[in-house]
Amino acid sequence: MELESKHFKSLYKEQIKNQQLRSNLSKATLQAVDKRAESFEEVDFSFLRDEAKKIKQESITHLNEFLSQFEDMAQKNGCKIFYAQTPEKANAYILDAALKHGVRTIVKSKSMVTEEMELVPFLTRNGIDTVETDLGEYIVQLANEKPSHITTPAIHKSRKEIAELFHEKIGSDLNTDPKFLTTEARRVLREKFLSADMGISGANFLIAETGDVVIVENEGNARLSTSAVKVHVVVTGIEKVIPQFSDLRIFMRLLARSSTGQKLTSYVSLIRGPRAKEEKDGPQEVHIVLLDNGRSGLLGTEYQDVLHCIRCGACLNVCPVYRNIGGHAYGSVYPGPIGSLVTPLYYGEKNAPDLPFASSLCGNCTEVCPVGIDIHHHLLALRQEITSSKKSSLEKFLFRNYRKTMLRPGRYKMMGKAARLLSKTGLLRILMKSWTNERDLPEFPSISFRELFKSGRLD
Amino acid sequence: MIQDDREKIFGKIRSGLRGYQKFTFDRSSKSPLKTTLAKNFGTQFEKFKKELAILGGEAVVLNGHSSISQFLLSHIQGSAFIYDETESQFEAVISKIKKSREVKFSSDFENNYDKREVAIFDAAISTCATCSAETGTIVIENQMRLPAALATKLFIIAEPGDLIPSLDELFTDEFRNFKGSNLFLITGPSRTADIEKELVTGVHGPKEVYVIFFQP
Ligand code: SF4
Repeated sequence: MELESKHFKSLYKEQIKNQQLRSNLSKATLQAVDKRAESFEEVDFSFLRDEAKKIKQESITHLNEFLSQFEDMAQKNGCKIFYAQTPEKANAYILDAALKHGVRTIVKSKSMVTEEMELVPFLTRNGIDTVETDLGEYIVQLANEKPSHITTPAIHKSRKEIAELFHEKIGSDLNTDPKFLTTEARRVLREKFLSADMGISGANFLIAETGDVVIVENEGNARLSTSAVKVHVVVTGIEKVIPQFSDLRIFMRLLARSSTGQKLTSYVSLIRGPRAKEEKDGPQEVHIVLLDNGRSGLLGTEYQDVLHCIRCGACLNVCPVYRNIGGHAYGSVYPGPIGSLVTPLYYGEKNAPDLPFASSLCGNCTEVCPVGIDIHHHLLALRQEITSSKKSSLEKFLFRNYRKTMLRPGRYKMMGKAARLLSKTGLLRILMKSWTNERDLPEFPSISFRELFKSGRLD
Repeated sequence: MIQDDREKIFGKIRSGLRGYQKFTFDRSSKSPLKTTLAKNFGTQFEKFKKELAILGGEAVVLNGHSSISQFLLSHIQGSAFIYDETESQFEAVISKIKKSREVKFSSDFENNYDKREVAIFDAAISTCATCSAETGTIVIENQMRLPAALATKLFIIAEPGDLIPSLDELFTDEFRNFKGSNLFLITGPSRTADIEKELVTGVHGPKEVYVIFFQP
């Protein structure tokens, strides 16, 4: 599989020129950062992060045990479990379930794993009307685009662009008021909920102890996608399992705060299975599809803790690189700092050779990560791996020479002279074009510090 | 039939973790909250009310059945769906609403009822399993999932004993053993900030949320 992330260099160059995108992103992410900080006032963030990290560490180092405990419990609760190594297999299973039930319309709530699988285009190609029901995802689907943020998929779009889109695709009046646009989406999607037979959701957590699927959301679309249907399919990664019900007291306090700056999201559904005998609605079948797709390859490696990620999106909001280039530039389902890790780790470095370099290594991401993933150090380690795997490169040659120059005073003096000469003639700027395109190259002084010192002209 | 990859995935997990040190977490009982609430209803209610109000919801304490029905009638314009549990617990309140509004109960619906039948209600009235003051959260475990998710206005009638101080008391053994197929936590109205981060309520679920504590 070849990913777009391979072409990061050309993708980001396109995106960075888009002033509108940069202003949308900057407004949205800075607001998210402020709200996040405010929301942590009542709770002890470091304590919560330490606990969350330990719970995740326990979950992942005992993954086979907790996964199999979850499987047992969920099956006892009446759910059907399906394990898939690849997106193709998971997609085929879901299509098969849909066909068996004669499903024509599927309502879907937000799930990054289904983006990984390209599930919606797959089902649509197979003749099933599959509708994204999260407002942001719905906007992105109408625009025939991909989400550009983990939790705010249409963060790159302005209200004006959305109004034009709704006007063109669903016949709404050209009104840019977000209230109006939201009501329009509600009108169209309500009808979809009422006619759908199958609902697809992700899962934020799977609880081994009880077999519960935990879904966190704000709009109520996940609740409807999982309740107003005959068949509910949960699609998630194998790493989502946590040991105990009581662990939610930690994660519930962290997830919404890190993600949207709320103390808790508007809705949390704990789904234990299909409708019980005495219940009058809810799905008759619940399928849980557990996808690997490269995750198990991280176990036992130094990057194992990347599997702790709860997809809150906080690292994207604080990242100066993300803020300037947006999610689409990464060419991956997972953008931002976590995407720069996950993409090469899940799909191989060849598929994303430049993503680990898409970071200023400022460490903001690591600081806000609610499960304590050492994101920027992992990025650095990946850079090292990628660079040392190259047999020879201009970069290697330059750094070797840089080292020699710094170790030998005579050589340093000579190189300094050459650099000043090149700078004066403007040649240096031409030679370093790919560097100076996006960065300043300060003018070199006409004489060196050493010469200045020797001449006695220093105060 | 599509063969699943369980064994292959478990094999990979086992080989990945081979020799890797297992970590066992010693679960601490400490709360991450910086301050804990006093154990009386008054203090907890004030916190609950404040949190719900921030989100655009409203919490009140009312003393008599007639004041509850008055509150409900003044807020409901059209029809109302009432959960059977609410009817049996607050019969006096419900009988007044029944007289002046179009009302339906869970028992009016068959198994596999048509979804469109519940999509028409302006309001849903329910009791709750518990309410958490820390975040202004309501927890429900009804026999029908859809009415509370589809109505425009959601009313919860609770008793002082239903209120717990924080999420620490929610994620415990007591609620772990909930009875139905699901537990639903509601914290304010349905909301989105997907368009330029501007907050809009009532996306798919209720636009208005009210919690009435009945204190005889
Ligand atoms: S890496 Fe951390 S901050 Fe980034 S999305 Fe995952 S959990 Fe959130």
